[in-house]
Amino acid sequence: MFLLIPLFPLLGAAVNGLVGIRFFSRRAVGVTAVGAAGLSFAAAVAAFAGLLRSAEPVLVKTLFTWVPASLVRTAGGRAVSLSLDLAFRYDSLAAVMTLVVTGVGLLIHIYSVGYMAHDRSYARFFAYLNLFTFAMLILVLGANLGVMFIGWEGVGLCSYLLIGFWFTKDAAAAAGKKAFITNRVGDFGFLLGTGILIYALGTVDIAGITAAVEGGMLAKGTATAAALLLFLGATGKSAQIPLYTWLPDAMEGPTPVSALIHAATMVTAGVYMVARFHALFSFSGTALTVVALTGAFTAVYAATMGLVQTDIKRVLAYSTISQIGTMFMGLGVGAYAAGMFHLVTHAFFKSLLFLAAGSVIHALSGEQDMRKMGGLKKHVPRTYRVFLVGALAISGVPGLSGFFSKDEILASAFASGNYLVWALGLAGAALTAFYMFRLIFLTFHGEERFTPESGHHLHESPPVMLVPLQVLAVLAIFGGYVGLPRVLGGGAWFARFLKTSVGVHETHLPAGTEILLMMVSVGVAVAAIYAAYAVYVKRRGEPARRFSEKFKTLYRTVSRKYYVDEAYNKIFVGGVFAAGRTADWIDRRIIDGLVDGAAGLARRVSRLAIFFDERVVDDAVNGVGRVHLIASSLLRRLQTGYIYNYALAVVLGAALVITLVVTVF
Amino acid sequence: MIPIEAVLGLGLIVFTIGLAGVLVRKNLVIMLMSLELLLNGVNIILAGLGRHLNSPRGSIFALFVIIMAVSEAAVGFALVLSYFRHKKSYDTDALNDLKG
Amino acid sequence: MITLAVFSLFGVLAVVSAVLVVVQKNAMHSVLYLAFTVLATAGVFFTLQAEYLGAIQILVYGGGIVVLYIFVIIIVNLKEIVPEQRRLIPKIFLVGVPVLLCAEVVTLVLRTGFPAAPPREDGAGFKEMAEMFLSSYLLPFEAASVLLLAVLVGAIVVARRKHIDDPD
Repeated sequence: MFLLIPLFPLLGAAVNGLVGIRFFSRRAVGVTAVGAAGLSFAAAVAAFAGLLRSAEPVLVKTLFTWVPASLVRTAGGRAVSLSLDLAFRYDSLAAVMTLVVTGVGLLIHIYSVGYMAHDRSYARFFAYLNLFTFAMLILVLGANLGVMFIGWEGVGLCSYLLIGFWFTKDAAAAAGKKAFITNRVGDFGFLLGTGILIYALGTVDIAGITAAVEGGMLAKGTATAAALLLFLGATGKSAQIPLYTWLPDAMEGPTPVSALIHAATMVTAGVYMVARFHALFSFSGTALTVVALTGAFTAVYAATMGLVQTDIKRVLAYSTISQIGTMFMGLGVGAYAAGMFHLVTHAFFKSLLFLAAGSVIHALSGEQDMRKMGGLKKHVPRTYRVFLVGALAISGVPGLSGFFSKDEILASAFASGNYLVWALGLAGAALTAFYMFRLIFLTFHGEERFTPESGHHLHESPPVMLVPLQVLAVLAIFGGYVGLPRVLGGGAWFARFLKTSVGVHETHLPAGTEILLMMVSVGVAVAAIYAAYAVYVKRRGEPARRFSEKFKTLYRTVSRKYYVDEAYNKIFVGGVFAAGRTADWIDRRIIDGLVDGAAGLARRVSRLAIFFDERVVDDAVNGVGRVHLIASSLLRRLQTGYIYNYALAVVLGAALVITLVVTVF
Repeated sequence: MIPIEAVLGLGLIVFTIGLAGVLVRKNLVIMLMSLELLLNGVNIILAGLGRHLNSPRGSIFALFVIIMAVSEAAVGFALVLSYFRHKKSYDTDALNDLKG
Repeated sequence: MITLAVFSLFGVLAVVSAVLVVVQKNAMHSVLYLAFTVLATAGVFFTLQAEYLGAIQILVYGGGIVVLYIFVIIIVNLKEIVPEQRRLIPKIFLVGVPVLLCAEVVTLVLRTGFPAAPPREDGAGFKEMAEMFLSSYLLPFEAASVLLLAVLVGAIVVARRKHIDDPD
């Protein structure tokens, strides 16, 4: 039943990609793509309702045996028969992910109908978008690492195709390549982790791995190695330190793509994967700590870079990295449900922010630089309102979705006793609130700074774009109430629902402490928002300018993204070049020297040889040539050009070989 | 009960006839038909051996041979057509561009 | 006994019509005898209990390839049949070589002998074959599908006219 969910996007992609690209009108393409996404969402809702009613918490559907059983010798010397099924697993975790992917995906499909209306490659875009949805659904529904890997690579491929969608633009093509290659590094880790699990356990099944880990069949060191390698895959896909550099560049893709792939779904695949293998990570302990620290550091680190970006989409890209860091932080302190909760709310408000940013860009005919915006509030009031909702949600203002999920993560971090992680998380939250409102004030308030070219066509976006935005805004406000914490009178329904797939995690905090923590984070958020107001509205950005003047080096370091891109270029790309140059030097100096020396020697010898050559050798050589000439004129006759002569030669050859066999043996 | 030798003999005879046809005939289309005879002879032998060894592999291999025969016929016809367009003849004597 | 008789009947039919395929002057007559050979071979398959193979033989060869031959002969219009000129001695030589080859193979087989047939039960049927096809021979099976695709493309590329307006 739940297999219908990925089926529709696949059909949509096939129809649009194979037929629509040549024969469909724009309208038909849009109807096909949106219809596929809509049916998929309907199927997801139906499957979700079925799961709620069903007594069985996990549904597994095996289509067929993909790789027939073969014997594998595992580390313990046991021989295990490893077979890989094309199997899908639908449980509460998968249900949450499918609902997010298809729901947000549907809204973004609708939005794209408006956003891409003037694009030449309309059908290609929607075929890719549907294909992406399909791959993402395979990833979240896969019942073993093999099937997950199909989806994992599939989303990577679609991400590449969509980042480089405008492939005639050099920057877009380069960004696509960068994303793909960076992901390769992570995917390699994923594969190695899978390999270790096969070697150690002889199974790649989610249920099998969980059971084996909980049954104590795995050594701690092996578990840590496997978990860390899988997490390396997650850092690639989810843009965490050290593999985050591709995500800001990925903003070269169309904005709906940024919203769907690089904010709501694909980049959270790593979070999903860690939650999926929570047993493994929890068992390892070390790996979990690494996850928490990586997440926490990424959260702050990316947020600092978000402070100084001037491109509206890049601010959001760094914000995405930072928010995913927060999710990993939640997973890392063992609060898997909280991490997943933040994933869901983030999908709502971040895709809202991206789409609203797209609406702004659309209104300004493609302008993305915030220094050339300002005062847009009265020109695009509806966009402004939804953007404000998204910004309030991400900043953690009470009552909106982001507040509940972020606060649950912070509370869990505090409860776990890892105060460094908690402090980093809080700092990240403060920075987030600051740069989001910097973005708002620079874009929508203040004087109008846009150029005549971008300003002449200023208009509010059409309803087809605004309606998805408003739906997302509603979700960004109320989406958090599914996980209303107990201390605020809620039932923590979300965590209870996920209990069947990621286990329970109780934050043992007294209610008073929890309330206090909430007040701290609210206070921090409000203070950061006020600070942004003070700097960018009251004093028109003067303090920011003065600050960057005063701490020039620091400012430049941050705005150049800590020179990480340059460092990676130097180390990895430069390393290859340096190796090449070294080889070149060896070639020139040493080998050429040897060759030159040998040549000098040879020249001297040859002078002696010339005499001998002219008298003796020439005649011999000419003689050889003459013999060849005569022989070839005879042999030429063999090449008659008639087919049956060649066939006869083949048959005679065969007869000869058989004669040999008959007579000799 | 069919003796395996009889099956092998039959296959071999058909094969030989086909081979002789390929070598002797100059008409391209008839040469292609003779090729089909060759493949048929092989198929008879495969089917016979499958029966003899009581294994489905004989039939499976013969099926692959049939797939190949289809491919060969399709490409062969394409070549015959383009050749005919080029030379207006099927006589292989006209087909000696490879002559040295 | 009856099986052997039927086998012999089809075998003789196959051999005779195969000879007739090769010796015809008119290619259209050849095709008719080829059809005979193909159907007789299918009969042989049936007596060898390779029913599936026989069915495929009739469908693919009888229904597909033979018809294709007829089409090609019609398309390229075989009215101007040029009698093939080949002298007697080369002709004997060209027939002799395959016969020699055949004799050699017969010698080889007779000398090596054959392992006795394994105990026979009616297991090597349809189901077993289908399962083997889609498990052990899955890769060759997929490769065959790729081959067919390549042939499809290749045949189109080779046979299409290079220029539409060119009468050639």
